Amino acid sequence: MLVPAPAPLEYEIVELFTQFRNPLLRYVSALGLPLADGEEVVQEVFLALFQHLRQGKPRTNLKGWVFRVGHNLALKQRMRNGRREKLHGLEVVATEHFAPGLNPEEHLAGVQHRDRLLAAIETLPEVDRCCLYLRGEGLRYRQIAEVLDISLGGVSEMLGRTLARLSKVEGC
Amino acid sequence: MRSEDGHLSDAQLVAIADGEVVGREARRLEEHLTACWQCRSRRAELERTIAHYVRVHRNTSEKMPPMDESRARLLARLVQQSAAAPAASVSSRRLGRVAYGTVAACLILGAGLVLYFSELRAGATPVPDGQLTPGATRIVTKEDLCSVEAFDGFYPIPARVAFNVFESYQIQNPRPRSYEVDYLITPALGGAEDIRNLWPQPYASGEWNAHVKDALESHLHDLVCRDQLDLKVAQRDIASDWIAAYRKYFNTKSPLPDHVAFSVDPPWEN
Repeated sequence: MLVPAPAPLEYEIVELFTQFRNPLLRYVSALGLPLADGEEVVQEVFLALFQHLRQGKPRTNLKGWVFRVGHNLALKQRMRNGRREKLHGLEVVATEHFAPGLNPEEHLAGVQHRDRLLAAIETLPEVDRCCLYLRGEGLRYRQIAEVLDISLGGVSEMLGRTLARLSKVEGC
Repeated sequence: MRSEDGHLSDAQLVAIADGEVVGREARRLEEHLTACWQCRSRRAELERTIAHYVRVHRNTSEKMPPMDESRARLLARLVQQSAAAPAASVSSRRLGRVAYGTVAACLILGAGLVLYFSELRAGATPVPDGQLTPGATRIVTKEDLCSVEAFDGFYPIPARVAFNVFESYQIQNPRPRSYEVDYLITPALGGAEDIRNLWPQPYASGEWNAHVKDALESHLHDLVCRDQLDLKVAQRDIASDWIAAYRKYFNTKSPLPDHVAFSVDPPWEN
């Protein structure tokens, strides 16, 4: 019977990459990076994580660590690109996502509803948007607070405020 | 913090929904919610908004570039970084020993990564090597295969046989739960427990992975047992090119979403 070799750090990083790559790529894309830049940022994050763990630094809350570094690198890259921030990720993918059985009127209503929601998100302050995106990627409040360097209460307030604004749009 | 009219704030309602309020405070807020229609109604509105956001957000997952290529690129860069790691501030007296150690470490790491890459190469090939795994059948009839007692959906492969299969594919350190040691022609279609009919099929070989093949096997068995497909044809099709067979029998170019996580056979664990 074969005995598996102990997984070295490289394997562990690849496993973590498999776990977090898509959520992180969605997040950095939503910050305004084109997908190609976003992919590169994500690669950089995991190369940095490799160095972080190789130096024996803390392993606690790696998800928060990955998103914090990704957030910072994405903002730097965006500055380098000189692009106006926009909801790149959501815009790109905001195509058909309604049930195929809808009639044309229902479909149109769905599209308009979605567009209103996206437009409302775009008008949010950036930190509120980041809060929303991070929560959407499954981060807990404490992790969000670490990524954005804000207080726990701040996260709660921002999410409450954001969802209140979006629910007004829902009510239109 | 409550709103001025004594009701729960949106922040509190969202935090409750997110499971971020615990202990005595959670009980207190839940009690208020139980008694207050207005707050419950508001919470429902916020939940609907979350649901709508999630629907829009979920679409992004479907548009992500493929994972395999990015993962392989990262691994290559990690290897590069490992190899380029400098030996920092060592005295010249110890240099020889450190250099020797570094070379040894690189050799060990290199050997490990060669093994890993050899796994990835095997993983990148969702079809078996025709020379090693041409397929083999046992003598059975359709009735043998379609009786209730004949098929329980699971045909365990002895560890010794699995070892030989990995060895024949030169995979020396298979990672547990990464592969299914799979019958090319499933026993449910008369495939034999013979090394010529077995190969290590990776789960992470892109869209054409072991889960998808399991779905095809199940479908072909159903067709044979319903007299909609000749057993020999089913055996030949799955042995010659199972991906082409999948496309033919499911009338699709890509694996169906339900089949991506389909599983009959267990993964190899050692």
